[in-house]
Amino acid sequence: MRALPWLALALAFAFIYLPVGTLVLFSFQDGRVPVPPFTGPTLDWYAAVLADDDLMEALLNSLVVAVGSSALACALGFLAAYGLARHALPASGLMRGLLIAPMTVSYLIVGLGLLIVLNRLGVGVSLWTAGLGHAVINLPLCFAIVFASMGAQQHNAERAARDLGADEVRVIVLVTVPMLAPALLAAFFLSMTLSWDEFIIAFLLTRFDVTLPVEIWSLLRSGLSPKTNAVGSLVFLVSVAVVLAAELIVFGRRRR
Amino acid sequence: MSLGTETRAGWGFVAPALLWTTAFFVAPFLVMAAMSLATLEGRSLVWGLHLDNYARLFSQGYLLRAVAVSLEITVTVTLVSVLLAYPLAWIIAFHVPKRWQRLALLLTILPFWTSYVVRSYAWLLVLAREGVVNDTLLALGLIAEPLTLANTRFATVTGFVHFFVMLLTLTIYANLVQLSPNYARAARDLGASGLQTFRHVILPLTLPGIVTGAFLTFVLCIGDYITPQILGGNNELTVPQVIMVQLGRRADFPLASALSLMLMGIVTLAYLACARWLRLDRL
Amino acid sequence: MTPLRNGLLAAPLLAAWLPAMAQADGELNALVWCDHTDPALIEPFEAAHGVDVNLREYEGTGAALAILEQSRPGDWDVLVIDSIDVPRAVDAGLMAPLPAEDLPIADLFPEVVMADSTTRDGVPYAVTEKFGYNTISYNAAKVEPADMQDLTKVWSDTYKDRIAIYDYYLPVIGLAAMANGLETAGLSADDLPALRDTLFAMKARARSVGEVVASQTALATGEVDIVVGGGEWLTAVLAGDQPELTWTIPDQGAVRWAQSIGVLADSERQDKALAFVQYILSPEAQAKLATSACFWGMPANAKAGAHLTDDQKAILRWDEQAAYLARSQLYPAPDDALDFAFQDLWLEMLQQ
Repeated sequence: MRALPWLALALAFAFIYLPVGTLVLFSFQDGRVPVPPFTGPTLDWYAAVLADDDLMEALLNSLVVAVGSSALACALGFLAAYGLARHALPASGLMRGLLIAPMTVSYLIVGLGLLIVLNRLGVGVSLWTAGLGHAVINLPLCFAIVFASMGAQQHNAERAARDLGADEVRVIVLVTVPMLAPALLAAFFLSMTLSWDEFIIAFLLTRFDVTLPVEIWSLLRSGLSPKTNAVGSLVFLVSVAVVLAAELIVFGRRRR
Repeated sequence: MSLGTETRAGWGFVAPALLWTTAFFVAPFLVMAAMSLATLEGRSLVWGLHLDNYARLFSQGYLLRAVAVSLEITVTVTLVSVLLAYPLAWIIAFHVPKRWQRLALLLTILPFWTSYVVRSYAWLLVLAREGVVNDTLLALGLIAEPLTLANTRFATVTGFVHFFVMLLTLTIYANLVQLSPNYARAARDLGASGLQTFRHVILPLTLPGIVTGAFLTFVLCIGDYITPQILGGNNELTVPQVIMVQLGRRADFPLASALSLMLMGIVTLAYLACARWLRLDRL
Repeated sequence: MTPLRNGLLAAPLLAAWLPAMAQADGELNALVWCDHTDPALIEPFEAAHGVDVNLREYEGTGAALAILEQSRPGDWDVLVIDSIDVPRAVDAGLMAPLPAEDLPIADLFPEVVMADSTTRDGVPYAVTEKFGYNTISYNAAKVEPADMQDLTKVWSDTYKDRIAIYDYYLPVIGLAAMANGLETAGLSADDLPALRDTLFAMKARARSVGEVVASQTALATGEVDIVVGGGEWLTAVLAGDQPELTWTIPDQGAVRWAQSIGVLADSERQDKALAFVQYILSPEAQAKLATSACFWGMPANAKAGAHLTDDQKAILRWDEQAAYLARSQLYPAPDDALDFAFQDLWLEMLQQ
């Protein structure tokens, strides 16, 4: 009986790691077809990925879009959270609802709406429009995370700073932001992960310069090969490295 | 500081985000609603107040079927994911020693960081006729013939469940560890059995977390294009797949808009159904 | 973590990427089928002309027309389109006339020039660049090759659940028409019921309906043994690893596809666009296009043969083309209304 939970845990991990394990294993496949039997190992497919300019360009594009849209979403989300938490505003419930609303709508619908408007306005789609779309879907998350962590503790510190003569801008920059840094970082990091991996909005709102998921999608549609495994494995390993680094940074900060 | 300037300053902070959301979310949504009332004549768009597209939703068999398929898949995925994630979160919260919990959680959500497009593709390889699962089952002598797993609804559901179990485990775990052990202790002191304690004390207390996670699962699942497109083998189409076909092959924005609004209608109904437990702004 | 990501990733990438950006002193935007995205094909042109070729893939003429409609005039320079649909594009005023004397039209296989479609009043508006067949691909180790010569046997109960259908409505509807003894060129709304019955019968026995890679994957991984709508373009890239994957043209015939390349009337870079068309039609580029990573197909220019290896020619069935051309019919070329009806029929079939 005591072993049961551990058995369940092992099964759950087996399920969770089955696709990832298969993906990574067959990225070393020596041949074109990434299914058993396993032949190899070879690093050819990794070489092919690193030599693929389109993929590398898409990777950089993804990074730029993720950082840019997350920074914007965090800035807007933070300001709104500050305004709603520190100032008594009429209809604040309604405004909170409006800011959260995009979270309850499918990405496909957000993307389609923007695409229709851009078409009507004659604005061509590009990485900018994809970043715009990502900022729309990430703003609710950033707002919610920052708003939730605005507690009485910061409020007291802000009040103290104001009593000592600091104006509102200085209070925000010198007191609120540093105190909320963990929440802001968490919001920024989460937004970045979502934007980094988002497909449908990026697919609808880009043309020639595309983000990595869109490029992988066209790779998938252009031929079955372990190259897709290799690029997937690379993205995974890089992301895990970043996650672990972030985890250590946040963990370290909590310990202190 | 008078109340007037106080309020004005507050507006100043909220305005950028409100303007952003209004300009790039609310306005496009309204344009899309207007678009759903337009029609295509040949290849040209005619604005107006037609209900043709909505009429088509109910008269054209494959569109109605798409709605049914989407609903069936989404409800199945949501239920299965919650039923798998709850025990997993429970084990991590109450059986794994405290110092290892963070690691266990991290391990649970690590595959979340494989590219989302690639994850579905990986499942296709796993479930293929000559894939890892069939190979293993055959080698173990559990089956005589390879099973049909890929390109089925089963594959789509599996791909979805894999993703949402990771997310739900995280949310439910967060709920479970916030529970004070005193509740369970009190219930047991009052003579409740383990099952009764769970049903009448722990479950109701964790319900908001579960419902919030389940609702987000519902929203993300019903609007997803990639997973059914890669894993479903086009043996049936979900609403997002039909929307993409309408956009890609004939630029039928009006019908795509009507389908999108239909999708939103379904999500709104789901929202109303579980509104009293939802805590969206306190994720 | 941002500095970390930037430091580890962006620096080497920037180094690799920026020079490429700097050297491009011009751009060319082409709307193409996926075979044109092979760097081996595009890079020599980019290097020779100092041009950055931006490629956007699409699938199906309807999609291409939709994209062009949503774009601003001048957004696109080059269009690759099914030869059979060139008149639709010309009617819409999309295509620019091409100087016949600057193009190797005399070198093309005569059967694929398709002057009725690609020229108007003797002036070419597009030139056929590649052709092939939507027919039956199969695994010779798992099915009876003789059965593959009869379309009605292909989707009979013998092969139930061992069939994948290529997810492109025009060629598969063409195959369905041929199985019914109908001419693909003469299809009309009256034929829809017969086509529906055949498509539904096909679907009832199919395991999946998939795009290029999904179909390849299904065949290569043993998921299915037959791909309806397949052909050399589907199996050629797999031939090296799995020689048992092959294709044939059944007795009823098969659908022939031919794609053309042309310059868009609104292009502001007519000269460069024409240069690109000339490059694609040159024997060297034709050989690369024929063996492109996305899908293989016969080059339209017969002189490309000199640049293909014997193995490549064998896979393309270079020597059997005369017989194949005689037995195949062109894609259906519906007008907008019939095109929509076909698409609805296709979606209905998928939902069966």
